[in-house]
Amino acid sequence: MTATSLSSDPLVAAYDELLPVLTVDGLPGFEELRAAAIRRYRESGIPTTRDEEFKYTPLHALTETKYRFGYGANLTREDVSGLLLGDVDAITVVFVNGQFAPDLSSTDSLPNGAYIGSFSEATEFEDDIKAHLGSIAHFDGRLGSTNDLRFVDLNTAYLGDGTLVFLEKNVAVERTIHIVHVVSASEVAALSFPRILIVLGENAEAKVIESYVTFAGNGVTIPVTEVRLAASARLEHNRLQNESLASTHIANIFVDQATTSVYTSNNINFGASVSRCDINAYVGGEHCETWLNSANVAAGSQIIDNHTRIDHAQPNCQSFEVYKSILKDNGVGVFNGKIFVYEDAQKTDAKQTNQAILLSPTATMNTKPQLEIFADDVKCTHGATIGQLREDALFYLRARGIPLAEAQGLLVYAFAAEVLEKITIDEVRGKLEAALFEKLAS
Amino acid sequence: MLTITDLSARVEEKEILKGINLTINPGEVHAIMGPNGSGKSTLASVLAGRSDYEVTGGSVELFEQDLLELEPDERAAEGLFLAFQYPVEIPGVTNTYFLRSAINAIRKYHGQEDMPPKEFMALVKEKAALMELDPAMLSRSVNEGFSGGEKKRNEIFQMAMLDPKFCVLDETDSGLDIDALKIVANGVNALRGGDRGILVITHYQRLLDYIVPDFVHVLMDGRIVKSGGKELALELEEKGYDFIKEEVAARA
Ligand SMILES: Nc1ncnc2c1ncn2[C@@H]1O[C@H](COP(=O)(O)OP(=O)(O)O)[C@@H](O)[C@H]1O
Ligand SMILES: [Mg+2]
Repeated sequence: MTATSLSSDPLVAAYDELLPVLTVDGLPGFEELRAAAIRRYRESGIPTTRDEEFKYTPLHALTETKYRFGYGANLTREDVSGLLLGDVDAITVVFVNGQFAPDLSSTDSLPNGAYIGSFSEATEFEDDIKAHLGSIAHFDGRLGSTNDLRFVDLNTAYLGDGTLVFLEKNVAVERTIHIVHVVSASEVAALSFPRILIVLGENAEAKVIESYVTFAGNGVTIPVTEVRLAASARLEHNRLQNESLASTHIANIFVDQATTSVYTSNNINFGASVSRCDINAYVGGEHCETWLNSANVAAGSQIIDNHTRIDHAQPNCQSFEVYKSILKDNGVGVFNGKIFVYEDAQKTDAKQTNQAILLSPTATMNTKPQLEIFADDVKCTHGATIGQLREDALFYLRARGIPLAEAQGLLVYAFAAEVLEKITIDEVRGKLEAALFEKLAS
Repeated sequence: MLTITDLSARVEEKEILKGINLTINPGEVHAIMGPNGSGKSTLASVLAGRSDYEVTGGSVELFEQDLLELEPDERAAEGLFLAFQYPVEIPGVTNTYFLRSAINAIRKYHGQEDMPPKEFMALVKEKAALMELDPAMLSRSVNEGFSGGEKKRNEIFQMAMLDPKFCVLDETDSGLDIDALKIVANGVNALRGGDRGILVITHYQRLLDYIVPDFVHVLMDGRIVKSGGKELALELEEKGYDFIKEEVAARA
């Protein structure tokens, strides 16, 4: 590849200058991981809609608009607490434009056997980070076609600081763990590559909320989250993407589950111009539960694209997936749900549901379930409904005196609120319900 | 208060109501009985304003207003209440939220302020007790996962909350065991009296032992073919609908 074609990809134009900063920022010893990742990324570059996994995700904003690393932004605690979920009572780790903000974080009084904080301060856990980081995302044992990993490679290429949640065996953290990524930019959008590693030891338990919000301007945010659950570990993994409406957000989540572990994802996307979130769960132990819940609202010309992949590699596991989208104006929703049931994974019970409500004739939903089943004694179902509101429910509400517009609003809200109900952190759920209400009213 | 004149209606090209005439005065309780498929729910739906039923002729006046001109929510705000034969499940909307929205929507229609939360909660408590409803049900989604009996009790609970001027009960007795039937009848009887009109639609006479009507009408094939006092219900119970069919045939 020539130097000119390299610099024409603005995502990596300044890579070589930035490399020394990355080493100083995070932990040492990731040189090889980064080098391999940038090599892979450069072989393919920014996806186009001709790439199967990005068929409905136009990424021209990445080549047409200006953005840069926005290190050094200065926010106060008040600035952060004014943001959606910014004031939630929690163990809080804050990053601004991809840079760790110790002054805005509060990670004191952790129970024994728990580390929650930045990679850069996790010197004691260097070996643990090395053992897990990258190995969950780049896992070779998956069947069939792998998903498109170039944004994962790109994130790894820029690996600097990040967030580690590390719980030893039997440690349960009751307090909410909140990992906040704030964008604070001026005219030029802020580029960042958030990285999160969550490792729960045997029988450990936690509730995490990952939030992506904007203080000012726009962002190009490309996060990667890796989750490893040891036997019987339980994680409630909430995610809010509420970035400003001209932002680009491309997230990848990888989950690796051992025997009898329970993983619950509540994935809420309201923001960004292009919002993409891939969740890949590899269920590598028996008797696991995997819950993937998601509520999405696209208004204006927002595109909200969700890809999920569940690998049932072992017998006797259950997965339940409910993805919902509300599409207004010219909003576009995309759902691609892959379920792989491996030859050995007998007695798998997998249920996938995708529902969308179109509130305008120009809103669209593209949905594609993709079930690949190699075992014979399994229960796998999928269903997709795309449509308007239920007539019988509308009539019932109106027959009680509620006017049409209000009845419609109530049903639209309820459609998504059903997903928010899965969030067991009352304060978070309450705030998201209010945000949903506002988003629908606007 | 309610005057139905020569009302006919159809669904999907099928003529179902074929000229109904019925007058209900303030304070009266009327029962409409009829075999399955005779058009009872169609009549209830037309009164409530369901859009898939097309009125092809006749008129309905409620309090000297043209009912058929009003939207379903306006009819409710004017004091019409339909207890559904098949109450609808609404996941994601709690019973309490639903009722608060309904009460305040109706108040708004009449130019009134929202009901103060305290007053609302006191009312909920009182009416839930009347219908022997578990308070936990109030924070659950509307009718979701309710048993058949719970759904019917929930309908009458809503009726008690909204305090309508004219009530239509569509087969509120179906699917109820005797205890639930008594609770439902009790709730309805508590609302009886004053100027309130009630139209009880039922297939069986059983409910009318508990909610004793002033008048009974028999609906068959989209027409009211016989009217009488409460003893007509007993006669029907005894002889079945066939004797009326014969009467109608003899008349023709
Ligand atoms: N939505 C509908 N679409 C088609 N046919 C209907 C519909 N509703 C009712 N019908 C038909 O109209 C007739 C009367 O139905 P209904 O009013 O429900 O009777 P009832 O309540 O007396 O049992 C029946 O033959 C029924 O099949
Ligand atoms: Mg009926």
